[in-house]
Amino acid sequence: MPLDSANYQDPLDLLRRFIPTPYRTRFRIGGALVVVETNDFALLPELPLETVLNESFPSNLSWKLVRDHDEHGLLQEPSHLICGGLTVVAMGAACLLGVDRERGELLGFIGAEIDPRTFQESLVPLLCRLSLEAMETNAEEWFDGWNEEAADA
Amino acid sequence: MNNIVTATLVYDRRTLPFRTEFSLAGTRCLLSTNSHHILRLSMPWQYVLNGCGTDFLQMKIIESATFESDAPALPHFRGLGHLVFAMLGSRGFFNFDLLRRRAIGLLSPAAARDAHFWNTQLLPITIGLLGTTVGVAPLHCACLDRDGSGLLVAGSSGAGKSTLTVALAKRGFAVVSDDWTYVRCQADKLLAHGMFAPVKLLPDSIRYFPELRHAVPKKTMNGEIAHEVDPTKLFRSKVKAQSDPKWVFILERTRVAGCSFVPCRPENLAQLFEKNAEKLPQELPEAIHLRSGIIRQLSACDCWVLRTGEDPMQTAAAIDTFLSEM
Repeated sequence: MPLDSANYQDPLDLLRRFIPTPYRTRFRIGGALVVVETNDFALLPELPLETVLNESFPSNLSWKLVRDHDEHGLLQEPSHLICGGLTVVAMGAACLLGVDRERGELLGFIGAEIDPRTFQESLVPLLCRLSLEAMETNAEEWFDGWNEEAADA
Repeated sequence: MNNIVTATLVYDRRTLPFRTEFSLAGTRCLLSTNSHHILRLSMPWQYVLNGCGTDFLQMKIIESATFESDAPALPHFRGLGHLVFAMLGSRGFFNFDLLRRRAIGLLSPAAARDAHFWNTQLLPITIGLLGTTVGVAPLHCACLDRDGSGLLVAGSSGAGKSTLTVALAKRGFAVVSDDWTYVRCQADKLLAHGMFAPVKLLPDSIRYFPELRHAVPKKTMNGEIAHEVDPTKLFRSKVKAQSDPKWVFILERTRVAGCSFVPCRPENLAQLFEKNAEKLPQELPEAIHLRSGIIRQLSACDCWVLRTGEDPMQTAAAIDTFLSEM
């Protein structure tokens, strides 16, 4: 039984925001430290782990990946929506990702039918690429986007 | 991975050349889009802009001919932290950013021309998800207006809020909302807003409302089979965009004949609304605070638990008499 099945019945959490994500690890991509937390052991990326377990050392990016046990669709070709400091990727309901560069967060739902191999071989490279893009955002471009949003408002 | 064309969409001034503003439950909404069809859909909502406060929401929508999805027809919502994802079947995909008070989305050409979808799904979804960030509390209750005073009807799902709403409408109450009411505090005054969404009646409602005999029930946004009816057309009811909430009835079904009105303490009413509201994440302390403030203020209204063993028409008559005798 999935760890979080009880939460699925909670009418106050229709969006599945509060599913516990007890599994955690830390690894490096490029020079950046990434902390991952998830509710499914199979969603921990098979990447070289960060061996210096110093919790006080801040991570550059945090990933929160939730296995969506109620979503049984397969991956579709991705749609990327980019707005200022936010990139959203949808691959059907089976993979919904949001990368907030300003907050250093990657948040996502992975459907029940996405097997560990597909996750490791197809999605982990995408997650790493999105993370690297988030951390390597050209500062000038970032501030242009920010100023434009302010002008819109 | 068939039937889908990869799309990378950038939301900026160049890709979103058309801009306008409109009002959503008393909140200013800034719309930018590449589609004059979407611009046109917003026009009926522009008429009450003068009453809006200073807070605003943003909607950035791209109409894209490349959008084609075999995603399930029913909307699919998921949220993590400040982000909410909404797959709207073949119509489109949206992301709601509750920290930036912004919705970005992609609509198919068909959806960009669909006023019914815009009015009854996309706008209620938008204010339902982003409202708490601008001081609009989406509350699970119906709202009717009686001579300028608002009556909220709360109660658990299946208690009969919608049938009672129609029964009250048939007695001359104006319908503000059926399922969700958006309560906003402006200048220390609460206003309950509706979104002109259709009233949702389960198929067995035909026993009370013979007007439904020619209506065809269909699958609604949450997967239920129900009649979604425009009360102005089917029941010739009055509708209003907003009302000043004065009374709250918490509807409970009972097997005992008759209707009883039991006074409800403000703290119990506040607890009920808090319990029925979607949990908000810790990233949104201001939204949590704003919503709780509105609920607290609303709980000062006169409130009764209405226990009824009668049909909706008789229950509506009992409410009408009860309010007349106050």
